[in-house]
Amino acid sequence: MLTVETIVQSLASGLLMGLLYGLIAVGLALIFGLMDVTNFAHGEFLMIAMYLSFFLFAFFAIDPLLSAPLVAAALFVFGAVVYLLLVRFAMRAKANAGMVQIFTTFGLAIVMRGLAQYFFTPDYRSIPQSWLGGKTVSIGGIFLPEPQLVGALVSIAAFAGLYLFIHRTDFGRALEATREDPGAVALVGIDKNRVFAFGWGLGAALVGLAGAIMAVFFYIYPDVGASFALIAYVTVALGGFGSVFGAFAGGIIVGLVEAVTALVLPPSLKSVGIYAVYLLVVFIRPRGLFGSM
Amino acid sequence: MTISRRDVLLGAAATAALMPLAARAQTSEVVIGLTYPMSGANAQIGVDAQRAYETAADIINKNYDFDLPLAKGEGLPGLGGAKIRLVYADHQGDPQKGRAEAERLITQEKVCAIIGTYQSAVAVTVSQTCERYQIPFISADNSSPSLHRRGLKYYFRPSPHDEMFSAAMFDFLDALKKKGNKVETLALFHEDTIFGTDSANTQLKLAADRGYKVVADIKYRNNSPSLSAEVQQLKAANADVLMPSSYTTDGILLVKTMAELGYKPKAILAQAAGFSEKALYDAVGDKLEGVITRGSFSLDLAAKRPMVGKINDMFKEKSGKDLNDNTSREFMALIVMADAINRAKSTDGEKIRDALAATDTPGEQTIMPWKRVKFDDMGQNNDADPVLLQYVGGKFVTVSPAQAAVAEAIWPMK
Amino acid sequence: MDKNFAARRRRDLIIAAVLAAIAALTPLFVKDVVVQNVLILTLMYAGLSQSWNILSGYCGQISLGHALYFGLGAYTTELLFTKFGVLPWFGMLAGGTVSALIAMGLGYPFFRLRGHYFVIATIVIAEIGLLLFHNWEWAGAAMGITIPIRGDSWLKFQFARSKVPYFYFALVLCCIAWLVTWWLEDSKWGFWWRAVKDNPDAAESLGVDVFNSKMGAAAVSAFLVAVGGSFYAQFVSYIDPESVMGFQFSLLMALPAVLGGIGTLWGPVLGAAILIPLTEITRFKFGGSGSGVDLIIYGTLIVLISLALPRGLVSLFSRPKKTGATR
Repeated sequence: MLTVETIVQSLASGLLMGLLYGLIAVGLALIFGLMDVTNFAHGEFLMIAMYLSFFLFAFFAIDPLLSAPLVAAALFVFGAVVYLLLVRFAMRAKANAGMVQIFTTFGLAIVMRGLAQYFFTPDYRSIPQSWLGGKTVSIGGIFLPEPQLVGALVSIAAFAGLYLFIHRTDFGRALEATREDPGAVALVGIDKNRVFAFGWGLGAALVGLAGAIMAVFFYIYPDVGASFALIAYVTVALGGFGSVFGAFAGGIIVGLVEAVTALVLPPSLKSVGIYAVYLLVVFIRPRGLFGSM
Repeated sequence: MTISRRDVLLGAAATAALMPLAARAQTSEVVIGLTYPMSGANAQIGVDAQRAYETAADIINKNYDFDLPLAKGEGLPGLGGAKIRLVYADHQGDPQKGRAEAERLITQEKVCAIIGTYQSAVAVTVSQTCERYQIPFISADNSSPSLHRRGLKYYFRPSPHDEMFSAAMFDFLDALKKKGNKVETLALFHEDTIFGTDSANTQLKLAADRGYKVVADIKYRNNSPSLSAEVQQLKAANADVLMPSSYTTDGILLVKTMAELGYKPKAILAQAAGFSEKALYDAVGDKLEGVITRGSFSLDLAAKRPMVGKINDMFKEKSGKDLNDNTSREFMALIVMADAINRAKSTDGEKIRDALAATDTPGEQTIMPWKRVKFDDMGQNNDADPVLLQYVGGKFVTVSPAQAAVAEAIWPMK
Repeated sequence: MDKNFAARRRRDLIIAAVLAAIAALTPLFVKDVVVQNVLILTLMYAGLSQSWNILSGYCGQISLGHALYFGLGAYTTELLFTKFGVLPWFGMLAGGTVSALIAMGLGYPFFRLRGHYFVIATIVIAEIGLLLFHNWEWAGAAMGITIPIRGDSWLKFQFARSKVPYFYFALVLCCIAWLVTWWLEDSKWGFWWRAVKDNPDAAESLGVDVFNSKMGAAAVSAFLVAVGGSFYAQFVSYIDPESVMGFQFSLLMALPAVLGGIGTLWGPVLGAAILIPLTEITRFKFGGSGSGVDLIIYGTLIVLISLALPRGLVSLFSRPKKTGATR
């Protein structure tokens, strides 16, 4: 059953999904790059964003595409607050800073899931009708679903924007400088906490954007983040921790590898392909594809 | 109000005269344990189940004019009008936690019976524990056939298992074929936990026995972030019938992905689970006109048995949903258990077990399309006939078997 | 300082002996199976976490993939038992050996990885194992393995109703893991690991030796965890891939050590003694409601303990000392 059409279709679907994986993961890469902290509640940030999109649709009939900026903005605030109320203190830990950060964010993930179940009930939600939902573009027998297509475009735009932001704006440079030498920036009057809070906000806003798009074609429930969290970590590590471009490349690779594995192995093993590629890459390049240091 | 010593003595004497020895200590309530996933990925199932059990307990404890065991009058007459009290325990889908919760229910909550568990893996350990403590266990909504074949004495299942479900599905296909429809090739699409694996194994066997060609047998990881690759293979196989065994989440993603990849199956015949959940139809109902799913329950029965509609309304008031494949089975499980306790006139495990084994309730006294409730020596009710339901115009219509059908199946689906 | 060190080790050993003796007596007083169950799980996770601590705490190689060894132990034992009639006691050793060999095989490429790359590699390898077992028909795939129970037997290590034998096994496992750790602290390996932690440059000069000691730590750690997995399989008498190789086990091995004090002798025991009963009690009390409250409480406690006691609960017990407390 391996026809040219199935292969091309697989690659196309894989590419679209991969760009979305990249968008989901980039916030994680950004935060890590800035301050060496891995957010183990990243999947739950995605979950919150999806619920926000859903409720904006359910109560105010705002299409997820329209509400995406709102969701991103809300997540920005949320991310910054999480930093200021929680991560800031975790980073001050006098011992085992790495473990404290991991388990603080991990505990946060559990709390967020519990709160989601408490307030939103464990029911499965989804947005049945939206501008993009269920629509698809067909080019020569290859189908490109519009939600994923738009998602891919948003992802590319977000990465381009992020690149410009980091390299062309003052604040972006401050971000980069803080990342390179947190001690030195304090001397030139940059408030480290402000930069970090902004970094967390930006990282959360990006995953918020991803969540808004995911809400169009995915189901929503308190545990939905779990399906994407591990993929996001692998994506970031594959690309190299701290490298924004690495997350972009990592996402595409993960998407493509997943699609190709499903062609050659039983689909229930398709994640094995992703994991094997990750291991292979880090065995050859222990810092991932584009990792610094 | 004061109760004099004389009243108590008189009451005690009267009770002693009416009841067997074991039940003499019996007070005004009968405690039944329910163990379900109440947090984690399947929490929704557990929360819906709570509503179903509350509905059943309500009917037992209060006076309702239904032709259902224990509906009339309050509480259990066999135990002097004792009321049913339910205790819930969260097993989180983990066999070890299931066992721990069963032990806690038995030894600390002093339940006299347990009902559960949704996940078959947990049913394995919970039923073993019940066996050890000689506490009857009703497997309300587990459909794995391996469960009753272990020969446990305290295990009972009033509802059908996968082989019965799948046989009903293939009977239906055979009938279609006889009428001249082209039904030759099948595509199986199933998730990778016990439910999907068991279902697919049964279907593969039945397909071979009855001469259908399985052109695709796709096993996927449950809760996958994407099903595009899987759907493409289904599309390439383009079977006459697509047979999914999927939970709600994957079911939603499957239907969405099929639409996105331009695959319109000729017919879908689903192994319930996700395909009998409201959430799935809320999400993608518009793409599922004509889908057929097996089920245990049919609202069409309300026409013949008005109480079915009324009970459904009671449940809907609590949950906002119609009774479905799972919740109807859960509802009946408690009725069957309470009826046995009532007939046992005791909360002693062994007596309840014997009463369960002696159960013979005609189908008319259930809310199900079953012939009757009567357990074989493995504890399985073989008279629980499954039905096939077709989703037409936003509602389920019973299309098979002939005696329960209210409409002819639309085939292929539109 | 050496003298202090020796004195402290003697004191630790005495405390451990007293605690173990008290623990050994509890089944005489605690007859409630629910409480016994919680005690068994606590001891088991204390032992598992102690084993995890050898590689991840002392050696500093944070693994979130120890579920692989736990599952391998469980599966090796039960496959040997149900397919070939090999008694679980031998299966346990076989499972431990298989896991230790695999841990060393993986250690070779894995120890080149640093920080998060290592952590994710361990998560990923356990996931691969989980998926393979999920699809391995001969090993029962998703259906898992039901362990046939034919009445109480020490030979087959199965007991229908009594939990006391399991309790003692878990206690022994916990004690062995503790003793191994205690012994390692004062060994050459323990010295190297401390040296590397205090001064990463020292690792360079010790190069090969340190690498070998890490391999040793991985093997010991995996062996003990696999024995824990075998025990768990016998204890629950049913296994399927998710219930012995799921990610939650990797976490449950790490959490007690982290909360109690990572890289310390008493951390895992202390952490498990708090965490496991807490998990069980919150589930008993609030799980049945289906409202998620148990998750909220559980998560909040993890956050609070992580933030308030970065050195873990053991730091509550250690008075600030003048001499270098390297623990």
